[in-house]
Amino acid sequence: MSGVNGSAQVKIQLQTKNPELQLPQEIGPILVRTGLKRLELSRLVNNLLEATQPVPLQFLINGQFLRTTIDDFLTQNGISAETTLTVEYVKALIPPQTIASY
Amino acid sequence: HTHISSEASAATMSLDEARSAWAEHESSTRNLALILTEHLRLILHPTQATKMRGDFRTGKRLNIKRIIPYIASSYKRDKIWMRRSIPSKRSYQIMLAIDDSKSMDESDSKSLAFETLALVAKSMSMLEVGEICVLGFGEEVKLAHDFSTPFTSEAGAEVFQSFTFAQSKTNVRKMLAESIELFRAARLKATGSSSELWQLQLIISDGVCEDHPSIRQLVRQAFEERIMVVFVIVDALSRKASTPTQSAAVPNQSILDLQTAEFAKDADGEMQLKMVKYLDTFPFQYYLIVRDVQELPGVLAGALRQWFAEVVESGGD
Ligand SMILES: [Mg+2]
Repeated sequence: MSGVNGSAQVKIQLQTKNPELQLPQEIGPILVRTGLKRLELSRLVNNLLEATQPVPLQFLINGQFLRTTIDDFLTQNGISAETTLTVEYVKALIPPQTIASY
Repeated sequence: HTHISSEASAATMSLDEARSAWAEHESSTRNLALILTEHLRLILHPTQATKMRGDFRTGKRLNIKRIIPYIASSYKRDKIWMRRSIPSKRSYQIMLAIDDSKSMDESDSKSLAFETLALVAKSMSMLEVGEICVLGFGEEVKLAHDFSTPFTSEAGAEVFQSFTFAQSKTNVRKMLAESIELFRAARLKATGSSSELWQLQLIISDGVCEDHPSIRQLVRQAFEERIMVVFVIVDALSRKASTPTQSAAVPNQSILDLQTAEFAKDADGEMQLKMVKYLDTFPFQYYLIVRDVQELPGVLAGALRQWFAEVVESGGD
């Protein structure tokens, strides 16, 4: 069970070095399904930031960009879902979608 | 029901280490064990529940409700006396299920779990009211001490030795299903009337578990089989974060602050994000949050008192 609606879950601690994107201090670890990918995490952070204009984000775990589901990332890197994952987020350098030409 | 975890051999204590760990926890919780024992004595011993009841030809106190029928029947219906009923002797089977998963190690809940185990086991053995069983659970369920073996200090050391806090999953659903089976088997083996056998499970864990709906179903099943399940959440992280040496920048680590991010499709098929407080969906009816072992005797006694009152009220006595 590892889909978005599956039951496997992991505790994540969201962090950023970008002063403009800091989360409110009281936000501690959050439990998420391991089926989540970058897009859902990006929505989560934007939701927590209460951003009127969503910022596209990318995520780093142990210095590596998350390009799969969290579940696949954990499996590939031999990380247990029992440990709290520190997830760093940065502004996406490459826009997720091609900007329409004008 | 005995399973050996694949990681069990990773970090086990030697028997000597386990003995000294047990001795240390046993002595650090000695005074608390006395307090808990006194609480439990009042709750578990049925002597307080004795009432004057019944219809007898002789007795200690007149049953007023029987006087008019007695006279009306020309003194024939003469069972007008009440006697003090003798309380039946109850027996207890108490299972301690301790979370052996890796998150316990990370959250530094291990030592609080061991203190709780030493405290509860010690109190129960001082009370001499019943049998104790200890389970470890994570990905698999390990039987660390069975109901039929007396719980001595040596048994305590052996139980400590069987924990690694390295299991890579926390399968509470599986643990509950296997516990119910163990309780059923133990009930069959118990001597005397099974209605006077009270079964109690204390789960000691950091509280983070998956699949709340199916856990809730098993908790209900346990309740139907008259097994009381009390979940003791050891919230060691909040204890750690509140030490003055750490700056205010440390985010809240307590289970009370833990949130779950849930994505669900709305009516239009759009994925919607909802933030839910973790404890709002927690599937256990009786749970206690313990940050310090000092709090345990009081809160545990409170939960047990409430449960016994409910069972007695529902006619289970
Ligand atoms: Mg765990």
